[in-house]
Amino acid sequence: MKQFHVYQGTQIKDSNTSSKMMYHLVLSLLPIILFAWYQRGIVPYMEERTDIIGLFYPLLFLLLPSLITYLMEVLFHIHHPHPFKDAFFNYGFVIGLFLGLILPFQTPVVILIIASLFSSLIGKLIFGGFGCNIFNPALIGYLFVLMSYGAVMSVDVVSSATPLTNFKNLGGIGNYHNLVEPYGNLWNFFFGTIPGTLGETSGLLCILAYFYLCIKKVIKWKIPLIYVGTVFGMTFLIGGYQNLDIWFPIFQVLSGGLLFGAVFMATDPVTSPTTPIGQILYALFLGILTVFFRFGTSYPEGVMFSILIMNLFVFILDQVGSKSRFNFTHAIIPFFLAWTLILGLGVYFGLNVGKEKTDSNFHIISKEKNQNEFSYIVEQKGYAGNIKARIVIQNYSVSSFEVLEQNESYYKRVEKADYIEKLLENQKHLEQVDTISGATKTSTALKNMLIHTLEDYEKEVHS
Amino acid sequence: MKIIWNGITKENAIFSLTLGLCSTLAVTTTVESAYLMGICVTIVLFFSSIVVSLIKKIVPDNVRLPVYILIVGTFVTIFELLLQTYLPNVYDLLGIYLPLIVVNCIVLGRCLSVYSKKGVTYSMLDSFEIGIGYLLTILLVAFCREALGNGTITLVDQASSLFGAKQIIYLPINDYFPMLFFQTPAGAFFTLGILIGCFRLLKKVKK
Repeated sequence: MKQFHVYQGTQIKDSNTSSKMMYHLVLSLLPIILFAWYQRGIVPYMEERTDIIGLFYPLLFLLLPSLITYLMEVLFHIHHPHPFKDAFFNYGFVIGLFLGLILPFQTPVVILIIASLFSSLIGKLIFGGFGCNIFNPALIGYLFVLMSYGAVMSVDVVSSATPLTNFKNLGGIGNYHNLVEPYGNLWNFFFGTIPGTLGETSGLLCILAYFYLCIKKVIKWKIPLIYVGTVFGMTFLIGGYQNLDIWFPIFQVLSGGLLFGAVFMATDPVTSPTTPIGQILYALFLGILTVFFRFGTSYPEGVMFSILIMNLFVFILDQVGSKSRFNFTHAIIPFFLAWTLILGLGVYFGLNVGKEKTDSNFHIISKEKNQNEFSYIVEQKGYAGNIKARIVIQNYSVSSFEVLEQNESYYKRVEKADYIEKLLENQKHLEQVDTISGATKTSTALKNMLIHTLEDYEKEVHS
Repeated sequence: MKIIWNGITKENAIFSLTLGLCSTLAVTTTVESAYLMGICVTIVLFFSSIVVSLIKKIVPDNVRLPVYILIVGTFVTIFELLLQTYLPNVYDLLGIYLPLIVVNCIVLGRCLSVYSKKGVTYSMLDSFEIGIGYLLTILLVAFCREALGNGTITLVDQASSLFGAKQIIYLPINDYFPMLFFQTPAGAFFTLGILIGCFRLLKKVKK
């Protein structure tokens, strides 16, 4: 058995132990879980939209990953016995619980199981278990699923687009009419009657949990407050440039997983800074990255990515924080950087967001006009070299689409899935057509080709 | 046979020494690009080993590195031009990682530490051993990444002008199987890390 050494130093005996912290954390999550159950299980059952399995499915959706991550931790502790801790008494279930709360509700069960195995093994146990992980384990599982199964996860987008996917589909900017009104008003965002994952919808419950956890000293009060404040400030700036009112920053704060991520994910005691100045910098950069991901990339949501990225810098921020505790000059450069980025990115996105982008991989080789029939020959860069195709458009609809030349490696998959016929069938909402797994780049190129050609056609017709 | 086995296990440049990771991580998205890269490195290593071990007596110690870079660079350029002429598809496939063989740690490290001290025959055999080890290792990484990440095993695709016809094995796919994660750069690090871990574990068990 290993010996436990007690070194000299200040040792504070406090009643705030990790099992007590976990107890308060789960207690604060309880209203969110119950609300999610009410919203996704009880209401559809009362309205007879689902059966008895559907009634309990939200609870099972949270219970299954919790059970898996708990069992993984038990196995780990049996293999690596801890001197005082019992293998069956661990907090592994929290990872699975968070995973269930942040993954989209339509995630298939198989993917849920893979994600919980991955987050427990790679996110936590490979680093040495409780307290040794550098990244938030639940977010590792979330990232894995998002990177691997993007196409499967986005099934059913049409019927229940979250506010942020809707925001992204509109080209990164919109107005009150098409951003907020499809979901009612901003109070619906606040109470949580909008589509989204199980945990993130209700702003009110997240704020209540924030106050509870701060009073019980489980989380650090600075991080969520400054994080949300930064996002609010930057989106206020962007909204100001786009002539949008105060509702725009409120919409940005309440939609997506921002509040949930800020309260529960960014404040994980293991993966967040311990020094006050480090915490402030951490929160400021989290806000900057979130706004950057929401406005500057093709992903609708950036909260989870930004938390993972900032987890990397926790050590550096703690160094800065501990040095500048008595001499603030050490922290001037990071703060200067943060404020420059906040103002710079705010102004940049405020001026540039919503402008049309041109795809440099797309070329029109020739176009012919025959009364109301347009015949295009276009080229788009695919996986290996260019794909050349002829597209004929008649009266606003594509009548034929044939690929003339291609050198794609996995073109057989495209043929096998009848992808071109699928594109022609769904030509009115091409953004929502899935790509083919195993031939992603080829299918994306074909899709983009059609989208760009239709854009050019509309310009021609209107002029 | 013993040489090849030694190159895979004891003197495995990637798993034991963690050298030459740049190309290992970058070109292992398909099996085809991996073995082409492995062949390129082996050929360059082979010719460089001959020249370096021949001129080891006339090169002063303080200009060793520039001279060796020059020698390796010459062979890489010759090879690059040949590929560009006869197999332009392969040249495009390997891209920047072909000229980067010049600064591949495996090639330079071997030149500096082994070929500049040993005779020609030994150097030739050693280059063969290291090259085959590198080739098989990146083939393994690429196989894991492509089979898990894309659901295919590309034997011949861009080099079809060399072999005649395309040869791609399609594995059965469903909603869950091709995990795109393994095709991403993060997946490359992940796969390599897990494989190195398994390799070390096997070594430990053997002892």
